[in-house]
Amino acid sequence: MKFAPGFHIRRHAFIVFVATATVAGAAILPAQAQNADSAAATATAPKGLWLTTPFPEFATQAGKKVDLDVKLVNNGLPPQRVQLAVNDLPDGWKWEIVGDSHDVAAAIAQTGQTVDLKLSVTPPADAAKKDYAFTIAADTGERVLSLPVTLQIAEVKPAELTLKPDLPALRGSAKSAFEFQVKASNDGQADTVVNLLSKAPAGFQVTFKEAYGSQELTSLPLDAGKSKSLKVSVRPPEDVAAGQYPVLIAAAGDEAKATQQLVLDITGQPTLELAGPDGRVSGDATAGKERTFNFTLKNSGTAAAEGIGFSANSPQDWKVTFSPDKIAEIAPGQSEQVAVSITPSTRSIAGDYVVQVRSHGEGVSDNSNFRVTVSTSTIWGVAGLGVIAAAFVVLGFSVSRYGRR
Amino acid sequence: MPRQREGSPFTGLSTIALKEAADHMTSARIHLVLLLILLTAIGAVYAAIGQIKATVSEDQFLFLSLLTTARDPLPSFVAFLGFLLPLVSIALGFDGINGEYNRRTLSRVLAQPIYRDAFLTGKFLGGLLVIAICLLALWLLVTGMGILLLGLPPGGEEVIRGLAFLLASFVYAGVWLAVSLVFSTLFRSPATSALAALALWLIFTIFWSMLAPLIASAFVQIDPYDPVSQLNFIELQRGIARISPQTLYDEMTLGLLNPTTRAFGPVFTSQLKNALMGSPLPLSESLRLVWPQLAGMIAAVVLLFTVAYVSFQRQEIRA
Repeated sequence: MKFAPGFHIRRHAFIVFVATATVAGAAILPAQAQNADSAAATATAPKGLWLTTPFPEFATQAGKKVDLDVKLVNNGLPPQRVQLAVNDLPDGWKWEIVGDSHDVAAAIAQTGQTVDLKLSVTPPADAAKKDYAFTIAADTGERVLSLPVTLQIAEVKPAELTLKPDLPALRGSAKSAFEFQVKASNDGQADTVVNLLSKAPAGFQVTFKEAYGSQELTSLPLDAGKSKSLKVSVRPPEDVAAGQYPVLIAAAGDEAKATQQLVLDITGQPTLELAGPDGRVSGDATAGKERTFNFTLKNSGTAAAEGIGFSANSPQDWKVTFSPDKIAEIAPGQSEQVAVSITPSTRSIAGDYVVQVRSHGEGVSDNSNFRVTVSTSTIWGVAGLGVIAAAFVVLGFSVSRYGRR
Repeated sequence: MPRQREGSPFTGLSTIALKEAADHMTSARIHLVLLLILLTAIGAVYAAIGQIKATVSEDQFLFLSLLTTARDPLPSFVAFLGFLLPLVSIALGFDGINGEYNRRTLSRVLAQPIYRDAFLTGKFLGGLLVIAICLLALWLLVTGMGILLLGLPPGGEEVIRGLAFLLASFVYAGVWLAVSLVFSTLFRSPATSALAALALWLIFTIFWSMLAPLIASAFVQIDPYDPVSQLNFIELQRGIARISPQTLYDEMTLGLLNPTTRAFGPVFTSQLKNALMGSPLPLSESLRLVWPQLAGMIAAVVLLFTVAYVSFQRQEIRA
């Protein structure tokens, strides 16, 4: 047994390697020659068996399991079995080596291949805050490869919550839906579950939803360093007066809390309600004769209704006039009387008709279907009586002429 | 100048009227006619009830539809009445005067202290009394059948409409009674007056609706491109048709028993804009709608009676 020619032996702070070589017989001479060729071609790819890890010094919190990636690298050597162990860990610390999701105690690295292993170390919850040094050992039977690792138990950085709205103030009418996009982020190192809270003026409904979902949320888990987008919907009561309304939202975790103020700028909106006389929706009228009905126009909205005019969709040749025919302004909650004079056409036949009375201001309108029962004039009744009277006159004349024989 | 006599012209009027009514009520002729009407009425109403029971739709005026609903092959009660009431009236009146004359009883009656005025009026009122009793009985029978078989009482407006319909039927029958009375004074032979009255009845109930357009077209030329001429034609045709009491009676029953009827005759679409079709007319409006027809028929009764009166007063009645 001898060292293969052209072999470099290098040692760094965190790479440990043991190079071994097997005696090559006459039968494997070409392989030797090939090794020599490749070694000449790539002087930076040394032969050997290594146990490596990317972060040999790291920090964690007491009681928290930490995973460390460990690689067993075999470069240009025949497959070898190595027995794995962790040395120098204090009492009470738990560890295990996992390969391909099994607990493993030994591994074989094929020639030119790497075995991925994971070392899980769980420090006890009361572990003192200091540095702990231990080694991962791989025993080939001939040599022991050892990988020293330093683990620092550090102070836990608690969760830090922030709520950040994309647009903190929205404007709209009392009927519009206010939706704020809010980003909740956990800038700390501890995972947490936050409760979503809100404080809004009376009658305002605040709901939290996922950014792209319809489910309502009351709490959500926030992992350390992660953030989630939320949609905060605020529905103001419909009769709310115009003005600015602040809504406080909060995300409360175990130890941390974040609050954010959202502002709703609600603009007022007028709403017109047109009602017939005494709330009735029907009335009587005589063909050809004017009849006046007192309609009530109410502004039940939250802003003044301005420039209100009237119109009517009536049967043909009917005359519908309004007094006043224009109202400049109705304040919110106020009402105005409108005298609607309806004159059915003289040619109307008796019965029920619909007159649609409309009021329309700037941006608002309302209409009321008013049912008018038309009676015809009584002239024909009088004429009928006249005909009968004339017949009796004729009878009376003939009686006086020929009577009592 | 005719000689004025003393005493009330109405002496003996009630005696004549009641005797006339009693004679009618006991005569086999009237029994037969009334039996005919009664059977057809019961048949028509029974059929109508079957039809109404088979219909699910809600009707505000169920009792009125009892009178107007037809079920094949039977016509409705109203149609029966419009056709047969003149027959009753003619049967009651066709030999009112000339029958007495031919039986030589006229001079005997007038030998009593009774004026001819009272005799003719009594004859007419006696006939009207019989008709009124028959119609009332018929109406009560129909209403009773309705209550019994439908299990529903009639509403207040239905009762008033029904009574108005009863009045309309009464006046309609009165017109035909007056017509037959006129013929019974004009013709000496009861057979002639009966045939004349029946001929008039046939003309008015069956042929008049065919004759009216013919007569109207003789006066108005229809230009297919002139809506006004068509309208004039329709108006004239309707005017001519309304000479027939049958037409007037049909319109009255339509207006009274079908409350959704708003107008008779042509209606322009412009008049129907925004109108709520199918909503029933208030009772007062329905009455106002049929009043011209009713007034015309009452006037016709009075005028026909006047004709009979003048003719009778001027007759030589001694035989």
